[in-house]
This record gives sequence, structure tokens and C-alpha cells, in this order.
Amino acid sequence: MIHTENLTKIYRMGDAEVYALRDVNLEIKEGEFIAIIGSSGSGKSTLLNMIGCLDTPTSGSVFIDNVNTASLNENELAEIRREKMGFIFQQFNLVHTLNAVENVALPMFFAGVKRETRLKRAEELLVNVGLGDRIYHKPSELSGGQQQRVAIARALSNDPEIVIGDEPTGNVDTDTGNAIMDILEGLNKEGRTIIVVTHDAEIAAHAGRTKRMRDGRVLD
Amino acid sequence: MRDKFLLAYRSIKERRTRSILTVLGIAVGIAAIVSLMSVGYGMEEAITGELTGMADMISVMPGKIAGHAYVELGSFTDRDVKDVQRISGIKDITAMTYDAVEVEYRNERAPIFILGGDTKELGSFYVDPVGIKEGRWLRENDYKGCVIGDRVANDFFDEVIHVNDKLEINGAKFVVVGVFEKASTMYAADVDPHIFLTLRASQEVLQTDEVKYIMVRIYDIEEAEEIAEEIEEAINDNHGLDDFANAMTMGSMIEQIGDVFNIIRGVLVGIAAIALVVASIGIMNTMLMSVMERTHEIGVMKAIGAKSSDVLSLFLLESGMVSLVGGVVGCVVGVIVAKVISFGASAALGIEMTAVVKPEVLLGGMAVAMVVGVLSGFYPARKASRMSPVEAVRYE
Repeated sequence: MIHTENLTKIYRMGDAEVYALRDVNLEIKEGEFIAIIGSSGSGKSTLLNMIGCLDTPTSGSVFIDNVNTASLNENELAEIRREKMGFIFQQFNLVHTLNAVENVALPMFFAGVKRETRLKRAEELLVNVGLGDRIYHKPSELSGGQQQRVAIARALSNDPEIVIGDEPTGNVDTDTGNAIMDILEGLNKEGRTIIVVTHDAEIAAHAGRTKRMRDGRVLD
Repeated sequence: MRDKFLLAYRSIKERRTRSILTVLGIAVGIAAIVSLMSVGYGMEEAITGELTGMADMISVMPGKIAGHAYVELGSFTDRDVKDVQRISGIKDITAMTYDAVEVEYRNERAPIFILGGDTKELGSFYVDPVGIKEGRWLRENDYKGCVIGDRVANDFFDEVIHVNDKLEINGAKFVVVGVFEKASTMYAADVDPHIFLTLRASQEVLQTDEVKYIMVRIYDIEEAEEIAEEIEEAINDNHGLDDFANAMTMGSMIEQIGDVFNIIRGVLVGIAAIALVVASIGIMNTMLMSVMERTHEIGVMKAIGAKSSDVLSLFLLESGMVSLVGGVVGCVVGVIVAKVISFGASAALGIEMTAVVKPEVLLGGMAVAMVVGVLSGFYPARKASRMSPVEAVRYE
């Protein structure tokens, strides 16, 4: 479903070139639950951003469903992010001016889904993650764990095939973290491909396959 | 679309104080335009309205208008007056003589303009529209009597002049038989600072029989321009000059005043435009700050699938809404300010003036507000839309 070919990303820091990714070749199959583990600065988040079409590589390519993402324009990349992917961030990244149900409905809004349909589905998704009684709360009125569950509901709003989590448990306590990983496992059982980046081996243990990264390289 | 409005509204509300300040910035600019334009139109209407009441008059002067200044080239003769009288379509004609002379009142001296003419004809031009406050108008045989304007009576000398007071005009003694009311705007320059004498008295005092000014009243306003041309031709022939006489119809005066007001309005709008430029910089600043603050939010929106055009339209909508509200507030405030100014001006200057609020000025004000809002919102909006999602998400 997803594979990378000699994926390389170089950041410039003053005169120095920093290799965030070096010739990464990785294949992720449909329906897989993969955890990418590594210390901070290992390049795991950069890899995730490339796979999630948030960032463009310096060289090499990312293929999604055999389409080279380098050949797509900005709007086509936005469409992939909107229709095929669901993002969960360490910082939750909810829009703080909107309440829970509006946040969840936001990707559907950009997809052009009708207002009633959108709000109804957003409400269902919130009920599914156990926040049925919090749908009109603003992010500032929710705990970290609750915010992350809103973010998961939002990631699912356009029914994506791939769910991407960048340290999804990084800002919550262990119990909440485990609960979140349980939700992700459930999503995997529904047939979705789950890609999670973490530095926590315990969290990575929820995944079917684990890949370790160091200095921009994927280790075997 | 409704949801985009809602989203834009939310983020305006989120930054309430700043949004209100931005709205005020625009509103001040628009209010300045609307009020200045409305007051300008009001002034124009007050003046041309009075002129229209005098549309049957033609004033003839021995001189030409060069640029915006009047240059006197000499004076008319009795023959000129007789020739003008012969032109068909003329109802009344008054030949006037005037000049500045020294006037003494209770040992105080001042140079004042003397205006002399046929008392009946002069009276028909000035007495009805201005009115006599004290005493009466001149009679044919009032060789030693005079009627004075409001400023002569009240302003020119330390002591106020009343009926039966004595003046010494160029050494000759005169008795004041009447005092004019304070004249309205149109007549103020003609009546207030002048002393009116019979033709004979004025010719004696000024030691001349020159005619400096001919006023003509005609039957048919439609013929005004034609008659004015005939008058000019007749007098120019007498003097053998091309551009000697200048016959002005009220129509052409209204036109000239219109020109003057266009210039005044241009200046006023120019001033208001500066206010608008400041306001638009204000919007741009607000929106740029908003974009910087929301780098993260923009990144999140893009990460969850917003296209660049979605972000662009959201931000444009935001600045558009702010400036629309600013435009509405500005129009309302502008109308109120215009009313207050014209009320104040009427009371202070003693003229009838009401602000004229033209719908096209209001519509124009709104349009300007929207254009300013969208244009100054465009740069920040484009900046926002071009943000890379990963840069934005990383930003904290």
C-alpha cells in the first residue's frame, strides 16, 4: 500500500546539512499496524511527515497505492490527506475556537460534506470514542486524554484507510496512553492501516510490526 | 458557504478587542468620507438653491474672469445702459456705481464701499430678498439719505449705527434712513458691507458718473444665455473691445459654484482617503498578526485536508467581514456626524443648511470599505494559504 524508495531528507542549519532521512526503503502493507520506534532526532517524525504527504523529500520517493506522491500537485496532496489519511498528533492540534463536534466535522467540511450529515457523523464518532457527553465542549475544557480522543475521532471523520499517529500517547498518562492504543488496535481490526511513531517500547508493543530508526536510517 | 462564514466569525470573535479596533479604523475612514461628502453636497445645495431663486438675473460687469480672479477693465457708460435696455426679453435693468470711500461716524473713519443706483430698481433687487430691519428703503429724492448693510451698522465702527444717525461720506453729510437685515449667504457679499445711496448722491460722492455694474432681470429663464451674449456684444461694440463686458447668468454661476464644490469635495475626499489608507494598513496588520498567531492552526487545517484555496478564502472572508461591519458602522456614524456638522454650521453661520445624504455616497462608502478590506486582507491571506503544513504543525 505504501512504500518508500531511497527516501532522503536534508535540512539546512546554517552552513551545515543535516540528514534527517538517509535512503529509507520501507514497505507498509494494507491492514498492517506498524510502529516506528527511535529516540528523538532519529528521523521518525520526518519519515511520518513524508508518508503523510505533509512534507516533500529532498530525493527519493513515497508511493501510496503505487502513485508517486512527487508527481502530485498541492491540491492532489491535500486530497490524499483529506480522503486517505487520518492524523493524530502528540499535541492533539485541535482548533481551539471550535468545540469538539465542530473539530471532528472539520475534515468533512473541507471535503464538502453537507452540514447535517457532517455534524451527525461527528457526533457518532465522538460517542464511539466515549465522549458522547462532551460534544459541545471547547478543547480548553477537556483533559489531555479527552482531547486526544477528539483528535482520533477527527482523524476518522472522512473514513480514511490509513491512520497516522505521531507520538499519540506522548502527552497523556500511561493508562490513557494504553486506552488510546486500544482504540488504535480496534481501528486496525476494522481493516485500517495504522502507522505510529513513538519512543516508547511499551507503546510499540501494541503494533504488529516494529521498525527501529537511528540517525535517519531504518534498522532491520 | 454558511460554515465558512461561521468559521470566520468564530476567529473574529476570538480576537474581539483587536477586531473591534480594526472595525473602528475602517469606520473612521468611511465616516470621514460619508460625512464630508454629505456636508459638501448640503452646502452646495444651500447655495445653488438660493441661486436658482435668482435664475432670472444676469449681472454684467466691466471686466473678465481670468482663471478664478476677476479683473476690472474699466466702467460702463450711459450709452451702454441704454443699448442694453433695448435688447428684447429684458424686464428690469439697474445701473449701479460703486467704489470705496472714507466714511466717518462719531469721529471714527473707515473705508466702505458705496453702492448707488436707481432706488426703485435697486430696491427690487435687494429689499425683498434681504429685508429692512430698521427704518425704510431709499426714496427717489433721498439725496441726503442712505441705507446701510448689517456689517456697516454693527461691525465697522465701535458704536452701532441706528436709523437717524449721521454719517459723513467723503465729506458730505448723510442721514441713515434704513438698516438692512443680516443677509443670507447669497446676498451677504452684496449687501452687508455696503452703504446704499441714490444714483445722484453716489455720483456726487464718488465724483463720477461711471457705471460699474449692471443688473438685468429677464422674462424667460430659457433665454438667459442668449440675452447675456447679446448684452456682451452690444457693450463690446460700444467700446470696440472683444472681452470687455462680462454678463453672467445665474446658470453659469451655478455651474461655477459646482466646479468650486467639486474641487472642495475632491480635497475632502483626499483627506478621507488618507484615513482609509491608515485603516487598510490597520487591517493588514491585524490580519498578518492573526496569520502569525494561527500558523499552527493553519498547519493543522492543511494537515487534515484543507486546500490552499480553502485557507485563502477563510482569511479573505474574515477581513471582508471585518471591513463590511466597519463600512456599515462608518456609514451610520458618517450620517450622524454630517447632520451634527450641518446643524452646527447652520446655527453658527446663520444659513439654512442640511446635510444631503446621497444613497450613492453610502453605497460608495460600503464598496470602498469592502475593497479596502479584501485588498489589504489579500496579502496576509495568501501568506497563510502558502504555508507548508509541516512547517505549520511543527511551529509552537
